[in-house]
Amino acid sequence: MKKIFVLLVSFATLFTASAQEQSAVESVPATNQQSLVEEEAPKKRRNLGRLTGSFETNSIYYVQDLRTGAIAPDDHFGSNNYLKLDYYNGKFSAGVQMEGYLPVLQGYPTSLTKVGLTNYYAAWTDESFSVTAGTFYDQFGSGLLFRAYEDRTLGMNNALTGARFTYNYKDIVGVKLIWGMPRLGMKFSNTQARGGDVSFSISRLAGWNNLSLAVEGSVLNRYEKISADLKEEGAKPSSIGFSGRINFEHKGFVVRGEYVDAGERHYPNSAYDGVNDPRIDLIKNGNAQILELGYSGHGLGVNVTARRLEYMDMPIEYRNTSTANTMNYIPALTAQYSYLLMNLNPYIVQPSTFFGSHISPGEIGGQVDIYYNVARRTKLGGKRGMKLGLNYSTYYSLLKDRSVKADKILWQSVNFTLEKQITRKFKLNFLYSFQEYNDSHGVNNITWKSHIFVADMLYKFTPTISARLELQYLLSRDDERDWMAALVEVNFAPHWSIFVSDMYNHGSTNTHYYNAGVSFTKARTRVQLGYGRNRAGVVCSGGVCRNIPAYTGANLMITTSF
Amino acid sequence: MQLLKHLLVGLIALSVSHVAMAQLPSVKLENRKGEVINTQSLVDGKTPMIISFWAVTCKPCIRELDAINDAMPDWLDEAAFRVVAISTDDSRFSAQARAWVEGHGWSDFTVLFDKNQEFMRAMNVSYTPQVFVVDKNGKIVYSHTGYTPGCEQELIEKIKSLK
Repeated sequence: MKKIFVLLVSFATLFTASAQEQSAVESVPATNQQSLVEEEAPKKRRNLGRLTGSFETNSIYYVQDLRTGAIAPDDHFGSNNYLKLDYYNGKFSAGVQMEGYLPVLQGYPTSLTKVGLTNYYAAWTDESFSVTAGTFYDQFGSGLLFRAYEDRTLGMNNALTGARFTYNYKDIVGVKLIWGMPRLGMKFSNTQARGGDVSFSISRLAGWNNLSLAVEGSVLNRYEKISADLKEEGAKPSSIGFSGRINFEHKGFVVRGEYVDAGERHYPNSAYDGVNDPRIDLIKNGNAQILELGYSGHGLGVNVTARRLEYMDMPIEYRNTSTANTMNYIPALTAQYSYLLMNLNPYIVQPSTFFGSHISPGEIGGQVDIYYNVARRTKLGGKRGMKLGLNYSTYYSLLKDRSVKADKILWQSVNFTLEKQITRKFKLNFLYSFQEYNDSHGVNNITWKSHIFVADMLYKFTPTISARLELQYLLSRDDERDWMAALVEVNFAPHWSIFVSDMYNHGSTNTHYYNAGVSFTKARTRVQLGYGRNRAGVVCSGGVCRNIPAYTGANLMITTSF
Repeated sequence: MQLLKHLLVGLIALSVSHVAMAQLPSVKLENRKGEVINTQSLVDGKTPMIISFWAVTCKPCIRELDAINDAMPDWLDEAAFRVVAISTDDSRFSAQARAWVEGHGWSDFTVLFDKNQEFMRAMNVSYTPQVFVVDKNGKIVYSHTGYTPGCEQELIEKIKSLK
């Protein structure tokens, strides 16, 4: 694969260079020798193309912390590093990504090791078509059937290596064809994904200007060699999934629908006991449905989403337990706020649940979002206006296969936000949240309920010097009971920012989770240095959740791009 | 040792990049109606633009766009420009992002959706917020990562200097 890639890059570079030289000569009027000399110099420089990229390092020095049970590794050090380089020359582009785990930070997939050239590609992007060879990211529709993406906060990168072809006809018809092997850890797996995606804009074809209507469809074939035992039980190495979608928009009203038949998949039977249930593996059919209704206009934004998932796990490799082992994207459709106490127990999406004799095919639920911009100079809005937000979400486990019947509550949350510029210098954000969380993920009906209050205040002393204060309180009778938290941040724009925060559990453990840090930013470079104590928890993005162990230590993070 | 190597390569690349002029890459994004828009079509040859990468879960991003939105009437008296807000929210938050834009009164912004972060990668943005000033011909003339109140002032200064 790497050889093909190198060959393609050299061929394309030669081709681009010669094509551009030719056009440079052609565009110069032959009669004017003076301008020929003057014009050739800048043209030649442009022929070199353009190199851009980014670099990121995230390193932690770990220390032992008896209070939280944080265990430092033997060499006390972890460091995740990424270097991405892209070269552009006209319609041609090529790039690489190098990653170095020296060693990998705690809680990330342990398959991320050492230094390696992990991603590489060469692409030709024309007006109506594009061809990519090597590593690429893509998704079909919302990603329920297929999504190749990168999320560095999770150590997630399931990019495909192979080939992709896209074609677009006047933004009426779009076609994508992909083939490749997904990345898992530092290598590409032997699993193959082949698929196609077509979108067709009816409104653009008909020339409707105030209405948008499109239909889309995808197909994905997944192939992985399976053991003789699994074959005997009826599992197949190859499965085919489909997705059909419809998108409609008219005068601010949006309707989107998606149906996915994800094809056959197999699971180790968690209920196996050799007597009552002798099946070692279970063969199931994955499917999902989403309906999204929205309205935007007159300062009001409303969104309602309903979704049902049944056996929607799509691993790259069966029986691999890495958190990055997924080929599709099944996000938890709930609100997310970055305040400390809001993320103690985030909702973990349940594409299927296997826990001993408890087997649930998935989940059903939805969420509502309402945002309203209260205009300036109204009774409620006052001189500077006000922004209001309301979110409600709830999810239940599915009772049985091929059913819409809800079984046990998994999650429920209500969030209310208010944002108001009180004076020219002072801004207040207020948040109230009620969260109900099922720690057993549907095995039983026991939930933890909490009420969270956050006041986030920003005061501007001068146009460039400001301070921000966050005060938070969590009220609960469950789990670790009450928490409080505070954060102070002082900013000296555009370069410096310092912060101190503490999250204190006074309901049960009497533990302080303190943090302090400083950051310096100049143009596209940011350096952040911090020290603190971090609670064990879960970081989620999409259907992927990473368990982070408790750790205490110093953290250095540098990001830059060029 | 390997880390040093990485840094070295990065620095070499950095020096090379100063020679070349960064141009807006061509990537297909979705508009608020769900239609496909090419980023190249944003370059109109008449006015410069501010391109801001944001996400509904990114508080500094929201603060930055609110600050730009509040200052916009005054800034437009000084120079003509457009604001393009690129939502990097994936399918988890893209529907919320659409409603958010309306509820935050960002009616003067062109909002586009980069659901699989293709444009974000092409612009080499690692984390939001990151903001760019792009001149009328599509040349990237300024960029800043992160936001602290007051940073927005640099944007209008840069736009005014393009006249």
